[in-house]
Amino acid sequence: MPVPQQPIPRRQFLRGSLAAAALLPASGFLASCASSGTGNGSGSGTKSKGKVSANNPFGVAKGSTTEAVIFNGGYGIDYAKFAGDQMQKQQGVTVKVSPVTNVAQTLQPRFVAGNPPDVIDNSGAGLIGINTIRNQLEDLTDVIEAKNYEGKVIKDTLFPGVTKPGTFDGKFVQLNYVLTVYALWYSASLFDQEGWTVPKTYDEMLTLGAKAKKKGKYLLGWGKEAATYYQTMAIASAIKEGGDEVRLALENLKPKCWSMPAIQSVFQGLKKIIDAGYVKPGGAGTQFTAAQAQWSNAEDFILYPSGGWIENEMKTQTKKGFKMTGAPEPVVSSSPAMPYEALHSTAGEGYIVPSKGKNVAGGKEFLRAMLSKDAATNFAKTKLSSTIVKGTVPPDGFGSTALQSQIKLLASAGTNVFSWNFVDLYGMNTDQLVLWNTFLSGGSDVATLTKGLQGITDKIANDSSIKKVPVT
Amino acid sequence: MSALGTPVPGPGGGSRALAASRRGRRWERWRRRNLTFDRVSFFVVFLVLPVAAYLALVVSPFVQAVYFSLTNWSGFTPDMQFIGLSNYSKLFSDATFLTALRNSVELAVVLPIVTLVIALFFASLVTVGGSSHGNVRGLRNSSVYRVISFFPYVVPAIVIGLLWSQIYDPNSGLLNGVLTHIGLSQFKSFAWLGAVRTAKLAVMFVIVWGLVGFYMVLFIAAIKGVPAEIFEAARVDGAGRFRTAVSITIPMIRANVQTAFIYMGILSLDAFVYMAALEPGGGPQNSTLVMTQQLFTTAFTKGQFGYACAMGVVLAAITLVYAGLVFAVNRLTGGTNEVGE
Repeated sequence: MPVPQQPIPRRQFLRGSLAAAALLPASGFLASCASSGTGNGSGSGTKSKGKVSANNPFGVAKGSTTEAVIFNGGYGIDYAKFAGDQMQKQQGVTVKVSPVTNVAQTLQPRFVAGNPPDVIDNSGAGLIGINTIRNQLEDLTDVIEAKNYEGKVIKDTLFPGVTKPGTFDGKFVQLNYVLTVYALWYSASLFDQEGWTVPKTYDEMLTLGAKAKKKGKYLLGWGKEAATYYQTMAIASAIKEGGDEVRLALENLKPKCWSMPAIQSVFQGLKKIIDAGYVKPGGAGTQFTAAQAQWSNAEDFILYPSGGWIENEMKTQTKKGFKMTGAPEPVVSSSPAMPYEALHSTAGEGYIVPSKGKNVAGGKEFLRAMLSKDAATNFAKTKLSSTIVKGTVPPDGFGSTALQSQIKLLASAGTNVFSWNFVDLYGMNTDQLVLWNTFLSGGSDVATLTKGLQGITDKIANDSSIKKVPVT
Repeated sequence: MSALGTPVPGPGGGSRALAASRRGRRWERWRRRNLTFDRVSFFVVFLVLPVAAYLALVVSPFVQAVYFSLTNWSGFTPDMQFIGLSNYSKLFSDATFLTALRNSVELAVVLPIVTLVIALFFASLVTVGGSSHGNVRGLRNSSVYRVISFFPYVVPAIVIGLLWSQIYDPNSGLLNGVLTHIGLSQFKSFAWLGAVRTAKLAVMFVIVWGLVGFYMVLFIAAIKGVPAEIFEAARVDGAGRFRTAVSITIPMIRANVQTAFIYMGILSLDAFVYMAALEPGGGPQNSTLVMTQQLFTTAFTKGQFGYACAMGVVLAAITLVYAGLVFAVNRLTGGTNEVGE
């Protein structure tokens, strides 16, 4: 979260002249918009060019420096330093890894000046909207077509579909490094103890809600910044229910896309659960990690839809013996278009290589190091999350039930893996949060929710200044 | 006559001669001092440099921002296209922005009045509201209240925001804990920051809580500057505490109140820090979304810096209009245009 400066310096108060009073804060608002001037960046990879060889597919120059700026969030930056060391050993290139928390704010001036870093982990709440910079980025197809440090073609070592979320208009510009599996999470030990089974449909969820209520527990809960986790679950359920056409309609911002029967049936299923009082009240005023602790620590509610990062995020606030386990997101009917086991999985932590970086070859080589066996295994082991590289997690999941279940979910989904981009791509989350907080609080009905979501979609669809990405 | 020897200047011609010689001297002084090193270096150090710094650091970002507001700049490219006023026409049909604008204006109207009335009330209690016998003085132990009331202002705004977001927490917050403890069970799990009818009041309360102490101390200093005899005279004439406050205190510290009003108004139009901590998402149904938050998301999340600059320009215009209104009201109600130094 950005922590801005105190807008009015206290001492200025005492001066109290009109000019100071009116102009100082105004200058703050305005100056925040000002750019830091423009400059000429060096052209693509002109400064350092080494010889291209089998072991140096991008021709990174020996003795050159590569600047990697890594988002310092849940995963830290140690794993990137590890990859940097690998690259140094292989190519004799110095890798400078620096942490960043607000990617957009920190790097915006450098993009304007034409002097961006060589490789960036564009992640976190303050990430740069990929749509605004994607024509300034390198196509990373040659990275995955290169061989890794073990001599295997990288493309063949990746999970299926992982390049899709980083491909826009046929250009692969963002390499999402961490595999994210979306699921409905629960405590295997609690479910065993109570003899509950994981619900596969929204009706089963309703039934389980009644059972939980008897034990003084709620079925679901949420935090104000994470209300849209329920939207993520609802969209996944709807895609499984109605098939790929649901995904395409949403992705392409089609009129009335939120009114499709599959989506409506999911919303109605959720609404029944909310109306029955099985959702822990007060979520709209609760900070999201506090809400998640009500699930993982206090066990006030028993199911939580989230991505695979949840285990790492709640590490210090999870009850002992909780056995966090993921199940596929529920479907609506007994005959959905995709099987219940179909999985919403995508990759996160988007790595990008700006074309104007001083050492473009170095940026690509860094990604090659990250995708090689040592670095990928190191990540899985230390972060308890899988990268997009296959076969780095042993069956025991390094002792983590959550990681075990993720690998199991991926295996049983087979090729039925899907994901979508439109929410992040067009920056809709902030506006959607408002609607979902109200809906989950019981303050609005399905029609209001649908109308609000459609309004957000239509506003972007009709705004000619926003570049659209057609999805097929 | 002539025996006196010295010519005595007559009433008319003499003064003319005097004026002429004075004029000559003044002109000479100008010429003599015009280009000396002292004078030139004085100009450079105290006039040219500050003006240059002001132009470079204050005016040029203004101009630049206004220019950007006329472009479709995404914020991440060196180049941009000029699109005229279309950002502005988009602004005034953007429902979310208009909601934010309405909320900001509402804060700017309500917060200064509430904060300053409370601050004035406490300030007069602490300075002149004490015993009606003997010297004019405040309540007993008034210095203790003064120190305590200043505490919240010592805490940074962001900390205040985080503190209160915990107090307002529906399930583990202090407020609901106290309320349910005294038997008000309807507040169990009540989301103060999550319900439309309470969210705005809840954040307003936090801002008032955080700033009342500061304005109170400011007013105390101003009241102390008023000679005690005036208050004594009013008391001798039979004025009670309320009458003293309205007829003596407020007119005597009028300039301070005006300044405080403008500052508080500007802070309310901003309110970014408090909102970022309490309602980062704009609150339930955007009921606490303010312009600065919307500007920030538009620029950094949506990558529309040109559009965000247009918002900044509108906000600056509103701020100037607000300051102008406060001055006008003060003028019309009989105040001078001087501002308390």
